[in-house]
Amino acid sequence: MTTNYMSDTPNPPIQETADELLIQQFKDGNRDAFDLLYQRHLPNVYKRVRYVVPENDVEDVTQEIFIAALKSLPSFRGDSKFGTWLRTLTNHKVAEFYRKRTRKQEPLLAPLSEATSHSTGSTSKTLEERVYIQRAMQNLPENYREIILLRFAEDLQFNEIAELTHQNLEATKSLFRRAIAALRTHLEK
Amino acid sequence: MSSQNEQFDRKKDDHLAEFADQVLDGKNRQTASTSDEELLGLERTILRLRDAHPSDSLSEAETKRMLVRFKSRLRREEQTPKPSFWQRLFDFQSNPQVAMILAVAAVLILAVVSLPLLTPSGGSVTGTASNMSTTFFAVGLIGLLLIVYWFSRRK
Repeated sequence: MTTNYMSDTPNPPIQETADELLIQQFKDGNRDAFDLLYQRHLPNVYKRVRYVVPENDVEDVTQEIFIAALKSLPSFRGDSKFGTWLRTLTNHKVAEFYRKRTRKQEPLLAPLSEATSHSTGSTSKTLEERVYIQRAMQNLPENYREIILLRFAEDLQFNEIAELTHQNLEATKSLFRRAIAALRTHLEK
Repeated sequence: MSSQNEQFDRKKDDHLAEFADQVLDGKNRQTASTSDEELLGLERTILRLRDAHPSDSLSEAETKRMLVRFKSRLRREEQTPKPSFWQRLFDFQSNPQVAMILAVAAVLILAVVSLPLLTPSGGSVTGTASNMSTTFFAVGLIGLLLIVYWFSRRK
C-alpha cells in the first residue's frame, strides 16, 4: 500500500504524511515515524489529560499514554482513525490513573500546595477551582464527560462532535446542555 | 404541549451551544441570559469551566522537550528487565486480591489441620459440641479477617 502510494504520487513532506502511513512505516520498522505521530497528537492528548488529571501528574499520564500507544500500535488494525483510538486509550489510562490512586489509598486529588509548587502562572484560587471541577468531572457519566472534553479540551465544533459521535447536531447540543447541567449539579453539591 | 416543550428545550440547547462557542472563541466573557434562571446557571458553569483551565497550547519547545523525555523513558523501560508472570502475580501492591485469596486459603488450611487436634477424644456428644465450636471459631476467624481487610481497604 505504501509502495503504491509512493509510486503514484510524489513523496509528500513527512510532516504532512497521513497517520495511517506513519503507522504503516512504524510497523515496517521505522521507529522515527512514531515521533511524528507523537508530535502531531501530543497537544490534544495533553489538553485532554490536563482537564481531568491533577497538574502534577499531567505530564506523567500523558507519557504513559504514548508509551501504551507505541506498545499497542503493532496490533492497531485501523478500524477507526488513529486519533479516535488514541482518545479511547487516553480515557483508559486516565481511569487507570484514578484506580491506582484509589488502590494506593492516596487522596484522589493532590494537595493544593503540591499543585501550586509545580504550576506556572496559575493562581492558587484558579488551581483550587480546577481541582474542584476535576473532581466534579470525574463523577460525571462517561458520555457527559466526553462531550465536555471534546468541546472544551479538544476545541471541536459541535458539528465535528456530531460527526465523530455519529449523532445529529440537535442530539449533540442536547447532550451538551444535559452534561453542563449535570456538572453544575455536581459543582453545587 | 409536548412539542412545545421540545421546541423550548431545543431553543435552550441552541442558545447554550452558541454561548459556549462564543466563550471559547474569546468573544464573550459575561453571562447573556438574565431572564431564564436555568440558562443563567448553565452559562455560569461554562464560564467557570473555561476560566479554571488554561487555554494555552503546548509550545513547540515544550513539545520537543516532552518528546526527548518520552524517548529517554522509553529507552529506560526497554532496558529494565520485565518482571516474570509469577513476580507480577505475587506483587501484592498491585494485586491485593491475590494476597486476600492466599490469606483466606492459609486460614482455611490452618482450620482444617487444627480441627482434629482440637477435638477431645471423649464421647460422641461432647465431640459434636467441640466440633461445632471449632467450626464457629474458624468461621469467626475468617469473618474477622474479611472485616479487617475490608476496613483497611476503605481507609
